[in-house]
This record gives sequence, structure tokens and C-alpha cells, in this order.
Amino acid sequence: MIDLVLKAVAYSGGIALTAAGITLIYMATRTFNFAHASMVGWGFYVVFACYSIFGGTPYYYVPLAALFSGFLGILLYFGVNRWLLRAGASPITLMMSTLGVDLVLLATINIFADYLTDVYKINARYFVLELKDLVLGSMDGLGVRAIPFVTVCVVVVLIVALHLFLKKTKFGIAVRATIENTQLATVLGINPEKVYIFSWFVGGALAGLGGGLLSLTMSGYPTVGMTIIVTMFAGSIVGGLSSIFGSLLGGFLVGLSEYIGITVLALSIGGWILAYRILIPLAALVTTLLIYPQGLAGIKLKKIIIKTPGTGGRVGSGGGG
Amino acid sequence: MVIEIHPLVLNILINFGIGLIITVSLNLEVGIAGISQFGRVLAVLVGALVAAAISGRLLAAIMGLPSGLEYADHMINFKIVDQINRTLATNVTLSIGILFLTLIIAALLGALIGYLCSYPALRLKEAYLGITLLAFGDALNTIAWNVEGLAGGTQGVNVPDVFRWIGVGPERYLGLVLIIIGFAMIVFLFAESLIRSPFGRALKAMRDSEVAAAIYGKDIVKLRAQALMIGGALAAIGGALWAFYTGSFKAVTYTRLTWTFWPWAYMMLGGVGNNLGMLVGVFVFSVIRTLIYAYKTELTTFIPINPAWFEYILVGLAIIILVLFRPQGLLPEKPALTLPKSKIEEIKQKVKTEKAG
Repeated sequence: MIDLVLKAVAYSGGIALTAAGITLIYMATRTFNFAHASMVGWGFYVVFACYSIFGGTPYYYVPLAALFSGFLGILLYFGVNRWLLRAGASPITLMMSTLGVDLVLLATINIFADYLTDVYKINARYFVLELKDLVLGSMDGLGVRAIPFVTVCVVVVLIVALHLFLKKTKFGIAVRATIENTQLATVLGINPEKVYIFSWFVGGALAGLGGGLLSLTMSGYPTVGMTIIVTMFAGSIVGGLSSIFGSLLGGFLVGLSEYIGITVLALSIGGWILAYRILIPLAALVTTLLIYPQGLAGIKLKKIIIKTPGTGGRVGSGGGG
Repeated sequence: MVIEIHPLVLNILINFGIGLIITVSLNLEVGIAGISQFGRVLAVLVGALVAAAISGRLLAAIMGLPSGLEYADHMINFKIVDQINRTLATNVTLSIGILFLTLIIAALLGALIGYLCSYPALRLKEAYLGITLLAFGDALNTIAWNVEGLAGGTQGVNVPDVFRWIGVGPERYLGLVLIIIGFAMIVFLFAESLIRSPFGRALKAMRDSEVAAAIYGKDIVKLRAQALMIGGALAAIGGALWAFYTGSFKAVTYTRLTWTFWPWAYMMLGGVGNNLGMLVGVFVFSVIRTLIYAYKTELTTFIPINPAWFEYILVGLAIIILVLFRPQGLLPEKPALTLPKSKIEEIKQKVKTEKAG
């Protein structure tokens, strides 16, 4: 049971990070980033390739994966997104452009996997890094791996760092201002370009980070990003697409309900249900959009706890940045 | 009469025909009605499922073969379909009848799917709607891939060969191509006349400004539902024809990449909103994709990468370049003429002479 919870936590933590990346990019540039799938996929492959070639533990290469995908994000911004934002393209055009980038990136992952297979004679089209993870101890004979704890630590550090950054630093306030009202922020001397670059870098880095950490909990293959992108989208939409913290929570919830929900269902109904796993995040996504599209970020805790009508409503709205 | 056509040409024509049906249906929803349809695969899969699960069962029931859940069992299915095919080879009326019946059922179910999609389509906009429809497509794909009693699940099923009566080998292939191209042309012309009709102009008005269209008395709810239903029906016909052509059905081949994103690329190349552009866009991409597949081995000697990834890069780059440099596509949308050009000229002349007089 505890084993299941730990695995679920590791999985959902990774999903939460990637969902936060999607939300950050959406908030800053109104771009629904399909290329997140391949950025996460590259996270998997950077960790796998470096580990296979240089050895050590896979954890050494997770920051590298984050940097690499962050770099991909910047590339995407300067190559495509920037010009479309300047031309005032519609959200659908923005989305389509990232889809084009995703196809190209997917091809590059495949080519890279072929290259690894040819040159280093390793099976790069399907790999499992889970067994290379550090073992912290054992419980009932089952090894307890480090990944759930690492993932939780990363998420907590990220929340604290982002909170401090967005609330206390000058640039963080500029980021929030640009997200709330780009024109007004520009009038006050903030360069929105910097904010866009920042969001694409951090959004991409979150994808790489999430992918790198997820590579230690699930098997990797070139289209892995394509497979889990639905869960990532579900996470950021359940979170409300308007707050990074909301989407972290949303991603965590969706990941947990997918992982634990399907296991519980499999135990009670039968193993055949495992194949329908993807339907859980899909259902979460569709029901959120149809019933409460504001998502978790739309729920105002202050309003629920302190029932003072008229006040309190504006406080905290969009406070999370 | 012996007609010999290079199989490559036939292959291009098939990809073109099916691609055209799907892309025209997509353009009707995206380009004309302004609905962000990112779940095209949903209706296509429904059509293919009808061909795979219903047409074969109907024939099996007629012939007294097992037609229940056991029909989809891959150990029995190929025997049943083999027997069906032998009957179909001699029975022309039955073949054509079942082809049309399947297409009609596919269209009806496709329209039903479109109607169901109009529920989220009324509540959500743009990216949100796109993601929702994409989710629907993925959900149906998962179900078709895993429910074995429906269409064989992971093993897939064989689809009855309704073109066997034409002949065997190249003859059958040529006949099949002609039939598919014929259907594609009918769909294309149907869409063309629909776009020029008052209904099509109402859709365009809705796309350009929902509020303005509503003010002029257009029922937005109804228009959206109708556009989705027609688009869904056409796409389902395309899916059913594809399943008949391939002769087998496996849900895993109906991915959002092949049946949603690639038609989007075709549409964008042709020019979103321009029906004529769909011909151009689909043709260009069909030729390139088929050639890449045909000359796989030759290509690998030049470029040391698997041509399959080459195809991804090509479609991806095409989308990026189009979005950046030519968002209107090769053939930009033009105002649709509701009367023949000669008639418009006639009216112009008349007005001129009246003015002069």
C-alpha cells in the first residue's frame, strides 16, 4: 500500500511540474504549448543518454535535462512564438505553431534514439531507469526508492522559490504585472519581451525537470511525451490555467487519481481495467472544462472561509501570479 | 481494354481521395464555421469502426455465420471474413449494397458524434474546445483499442472486401481508386455548394462575428450543431472508406497525429476557409508523403536517418513556415460567389446601362 502511494507521489509530482510549465507559458503568452510533449520527452532522453554514457546516478543529469528543455523553450520563442505574438496571432494559430514544433522535436528525439542505438549499442527505443534509482532502505522486503522524496522536495523548493521570486523580487513583480496587463506593464517601463523569454525558459525547464524525474518512475520511449501530454494538460486545466500553484496542485491531484484510482479499480474490478488508465485524466479534463472551467485557481479560499460579502473578493485574485 | 497505371500513382490517388474527404470536413468546421476541431480522429474512428464492426457483422448475420461478440475474436474473425469475401466476390449487388449501407450508417453515427460534440462546443472557445475534442478522440481510441468484442481490440479485425467483385490484383486496385476518388469528388462538390449556400454564408457570418450573426437572427446554437454534424458525417464516411481500403482495422492506427494533426497541416497549406485550397493542400502533401514512403530505402542512402522521422520534420516545418510566412495558405480564402460569374457580369452590365440611361 505504502509502495503504491510512494510510486503515485513520484508520478504525480512529475506531472505537477510539467503542468506548471504549461500554465506558466499559457499565462504569459496565451500559447497552449503542444511542444511540451517533446520537451518532456527530451527530458527523458537527456537523463537516459547521459546516464548510459557517463554513468553515475541518473539524478546528476536531471538539472541538465531541465536546462536542455529550457533552451528548447527559448529556441521555440525566438524561432516561432515571438513573431506570432508580434503579429497578434489568434490562440489557435499559436497552438498550431507549437504543434509544428512538437512534430519536429519528436522527429529529433527519434533520430537521437536511433543514433544512441547505432553508436552506443543500447536499446534506446525502450528503456526503464527505475531500477537505477537509489535505494534508501527496504520495507517488507521491497526496496524504497529515492524518487518520491526527491520529487516532493523539488516541488516544495519550486513552490517556495517561485513564491519568493514572484512576490519579493523586482523582476518577479514585473512578470506578474505583464501577465495581468501587458499594455499597462509596458507603459510603466517593463519590457514584456524579457518576461516572455523568462516564461518560455522556465516553462521549458519545468518540462525537462518533470521529464527527467518521471524517467525514474516510468519506462521511456520516444513518444512518451505524446502519451502523457493528456495527463499534463488535464493537470494544468484542473488547476485552472491561471495560477502556477493551482496547476501544481491540479497536476498532483490528476496524477494521484490516475495512479491510485486505476490501481484500486484494478484490484476491485479486475486487471483488464488497467488499459483504460488514460480515461481518468481525460474525464478530469473534460468535466473541469464543462463544469468549472476556472479550475482550482478559481476557488477563492478567502471567500469560503471568511464569509464577508463585498470585501475579500478582490484580494488574492490572481495573487499567485 | 487494358489500362496500366503505376501503383505509385494509384497510391497517391488513394491518399489524396481519403485525405480530401477528411480535410474538406475539417475545413467546413474550422475554416468556415470557426470551430477549433482538434478531435477529427473521433469521427474518422467512428466511421472506421462502422466498417470494421457493423458491416462484417451484418454480412455474417445474413450468411448465418457467428455475428455476436465472437465475430471480433481474431481466431475466428479471419475465417468468417474470408468466407464473406468469397461470397462478396460473386455477388455484386450485395457488395455495393453493403458499401452504401455502411457509409450511410457511418454518416449517421458521425453526425451523432458531431451533435454530441456541440455540447462542449457551445460552452467552450478556441484552445479549451480544441483540448476537449482532442480528449474525446483519445478516449474513443482507448476504448476501441481495448474492447475486444467491438472490433478485435489490440488484435484488430479484418474488414470485408467490398471491392472484390471488380477483379483481383491491379484491376481491383484501379476500381477501388476510382470509387474512392469518386466519393472524394462528391464530398468536395457537396461542401462547395454548401459553402455557397445561404447556410454556408450563415456559418461564415458566425465565424466572423457571432454577435453580429445572432443579431441578424441566426441561431448560433443550431448553426454550430449543424456544422459539427455535417463535418462529423463526412469525416466518418472518409474513415469507413479508409477501413474498406486497408481491409483490416486496428484502433492503434487511428491516432490524433494521423487523423487530426495531419489534416490540419493539409488544410493550412491549402488555405483555411478555401474549399478549393483543400484540393491543392491535400494533393501536395499526398504526393510528398507517398513518395517518401515509396523511396524509403533510396532516401536512407542519402540521409542517414529513418525516412519516417523525415516525414514528421517535413509536416512540422510546413506548419511552422506556413504559420509564420503565409498564414493564409497557398490559396487564400476569397469571397464565395453565390451566382455563376457570367450572371454577375450580366447584372453588372445591366446596372451600368441603367446608370448610363
